[in-house]
Amino acid sequence: MHPTRTLGLALATLALCLSGLLHAQDGGQIHGNFSTDGQLYNDDEQIGAVKPPADFGLNSWMNLNYRTGNFEAGARFESYEPALLGYPAGAAYNGTGVGYRYATFRKDGLEVTAGNFYEQFGQGLAFRTYEERALGVDNAMDGLRVKFNPDTGIYLKGIIGTQRFAFDNGTTKGAGIVRGLDGEISLAEAFPRLFPKLAAKGNSLIVGGSFVSKFQPDQDPFLELPENVGIWAGRANYVSAKWNLYSEYAYKINDPNGSNGNIYKPGQALMANATYSVRGLGISAGAHIFDNMVFQSDRGAPTLFDLNINYLPTLAKQHTYNLPATLYPYATQPNGEVAYQGEVFYKFKRGSKLGGKYGTKISANWSGAWSLDTTRLANDTIHLQGYSTNFFSMGDRQYFSDFNVELRKKLSANWELALTYLNLVYDIETVQGKAGKPVIYADMFILEGLHVISDKTSLRFELQHLATKQDHGNWATALAELTFSPHWFVAAMDQYNYGGSVETELIHYPIGTFGYIRGGSRFSFSYGRQRAGIFCVGGVCRVVPAANGLTASITTTF
Amino acid sequence: MRYLLPSLLLIGTLAGCDIISEPKGNVGPNNGGGGGDGVTRNVLLEDCTGHLCNNCPDAAIRAQELKDIYGDRLVVVAVHMVNSFAQPQAPDFTTDFRTPAGTDYENTFQIDALPTGLVSRKSFNNSTLVSRYTWSTAVASLIDQDADVDLQIDSLNFDANSNSVSGTIRAIVFNPAAGPENLTIYLTEDHIIDWQVDQTATPPEVPDYEHRHVLRGALNGSWGEAFLSAADQVGDTVEISFSYPLPSNVLNPANCSLVAYVYNTTGASQYEVQQVTERKLVP
Repeated sequence: MHPTRTLGLALATLALCLSGLLHAQDGGQIHGNFSTDGQLYNDDEQIGAVKPPADFGLNSWMNLNYRTGNFEAGARFESYEPALLGYPAGAAYNGTGVGYRYATFRKDGLEVTAGNFYEQFGQGLAFRTYEERALGVDNAMDGLRVKFNPDTGIYLKGIIGTQRFAFDNGTTKGAGIVRGLDGEISLAEAFPRLFPKLAAKGNSLIVGGSFVSKFQPDQDPFLELPENVGIWAGRANYVSAKWNLYSEYAYKINDPNGSNGNIYKPGQALMANATYSVRGLGISAGAHIFDNMVFQSDRGAPTLFDLNINYLPTLAKQHTYNLPATLYPYATQPNGEVAYQGEVFYKFKRGSKLGGKYGTKISANWSGAWSLDTTRLANDTIHLQGYSTNFFSMGDRQYFSDFNVELRKKLSANWELALTYLNLVYDIETVQGKAGKPVIYADMFILEGLHVISDKTSLRFELQHLATKQDHGNWATALAELTFSPHWFVAAMDQYNYGGSVETELIHYPIGTFGYIRGGSRFSFSYGRQRAGIFCVGGVCRVVPAANGLTASITTTF
Repeated sequence: MRYLLPSLLLIGTLAGCDIISEPKGNVGPNNGGGGGDGVTRNVLLEDCTGHLCNNCPDAAIRAQELKDIYGDRLVVVAVHMVNSFAQPQAPDFTTDFRTPAGTDYENTFQIDALPTGLVSRKSFNNSTLVSRYTWSTAVASLIDQDADVDLQIDSLNFDANSNSVSGTIRAIVFNPAAGPENLTIYLTEDHIIDWQVDQTATPPEVPDYEHRHVLRGALNGSWGEAFLSAADQVGDTVEISFSYPLPSNVLNPANCSLVAYVYNTTGASQYEVQQVTERKLVP
């Protein structure tokens, strides 16, 4: 059937279903949201921007959800006509169609979902499906999910289905079948007599376990590949008023795949996080070790962005300022990494010597990641184990470290300033796959200010500077954003690569934006240059091309 | 009820995974002998590569391993593409291996990450782009299939004086085509010694890397020319004569080969290569 007719039929069916339900039951609600991002491209020889054949790209999404009583159903319509340059991260998205649809009912502690769903077990070391729309990552399940709460404090989940792979006038799905079970018990709730102190203090100790397995036929002429590959995980979480302690361990049974060079070595992952917080003070520390933990529902998935069954979080601060967020961001190395992170936040009270009239906030964060301590196995022709791991040791190679301090101070009723310093060590050869490039050592200073001009008008600005003797050398960024509440805003930004001690072409990347906000709707338009870059995961790289042109964006909720 | 969880996990663990201690214990490589008495499909493996792509030498090794097993039944072509991996870069990587055809394939098949490959341009698991780690599976799934058409480079003449190549290509129809099929003729060059980034080497910039099966050009255009149609009946023979100058980037004609393939131009399996053959320019 022609895709357009298929879409039309699907739309008509959904509309009929929803209208029928609306008439059939009282109290039902439809809610949803819509967003679209479009870009009209120009050629720009200086930054290497090439206009695509269609001159423009347009990504659009609309979610429609209907809920009445115990029943819920919904769908997401997606359109890529064509997709924006460099989007998505993994396999291509083309055309218009239904990207997500589901129906759910809940009754007597039982919840059943048919169709698409996002779900995760624990922190996701064994299983997590999610959508990261900005990056173009969506590994939604299409199948069946059952959740059951058989008794107080006991939670069970079961899932089965296939995963979203790409989009061609509708979702295309991966080759493998994913099935999993998860159970979680809140001990103080389920066994109050066995844990009277926990229950009395309102603290909780939650333990959980899961098992996930994928099935994919073996057609390899050389190797006997495991058609069923399993991973199990266990976790514990202690929560009190001041403490939150979490740990999770996962073990993956032989999973030869494209990213590990078809070795049969088991995978392991261990993560632990601890946070302590009281009024005005927060301390957190985390560590993780990942070894051979890529787990995809197609062992030959084209990239590490596609068909991931599990999720391996990054232990690094997710910066929001332009330079640290977009030039040298760190990404987890799923096949081998030891990482640590620590953070302290303190607020000097109002009226104190350092707090002044409005108080002062200071935070310090450090994170670092290293290779695993591994030894390649000689004469590994029988068992194909690849290498051995000294699991709790880090190797010689440092992938990344980020030390940053932020001081945030409200100076007066009209002024607030934040000063940030970052020191970065970045192994661009490992993280971005740029062979032969030296490790980058960079220092960054960022000044952010907010000036409230009147009740309705405020100015926010950022001045950023990055200094390094490697890669493209020094960068400077200036941003100013004027907001006329409640409807209008206008912003201008320029990134300037001036090299410094590194000889480079001096290039400005100016971009201007204005926008209008009304209720739940936001319209924005930008015109200018966007820098080229490469995003890499595990040695496979995606080129994000440079662009010059007009960008328009609309988001709304209803 | 409280014992339900561990019971379910135990059942799942027992049922959900295969543990393999000797991966090569029960299988052996296909020796390339074909799957039946009739003509079987040859396979075209287009290794999408670039001289600045540090994982691409690993892909080339895997392609060559397959070539060593399947011999003439597998045709490997290294297609350099994606500017950030394939454009010249001074002072060492000054050779431009890119071709207009490679750029067309990069755009049509939306290739922006290397290494990757096209295995007879057939979709595997919903993707035309095939990871180098699954080339062996993809090739094995096609190569024993009965062919709908046999393809032969019937005669081939290289004229060193005019630096041109001419000959005839013949197809014998075993099953009528579902739709129109085009014929594309590649000229490839083997054993080119030049720079390549290789992450397994120290330093990774290798000055004397041997580039294998490099696409030098599509002689009759990126998408070839009309050749077969649904009107061709079982047993029909279709012939076409050709004569082309060698592409100017060829270094040594003695290392060159002609690759001819027919592919679907329409339908759900558009671009899928039905048959491919290769012949050395200078025997």
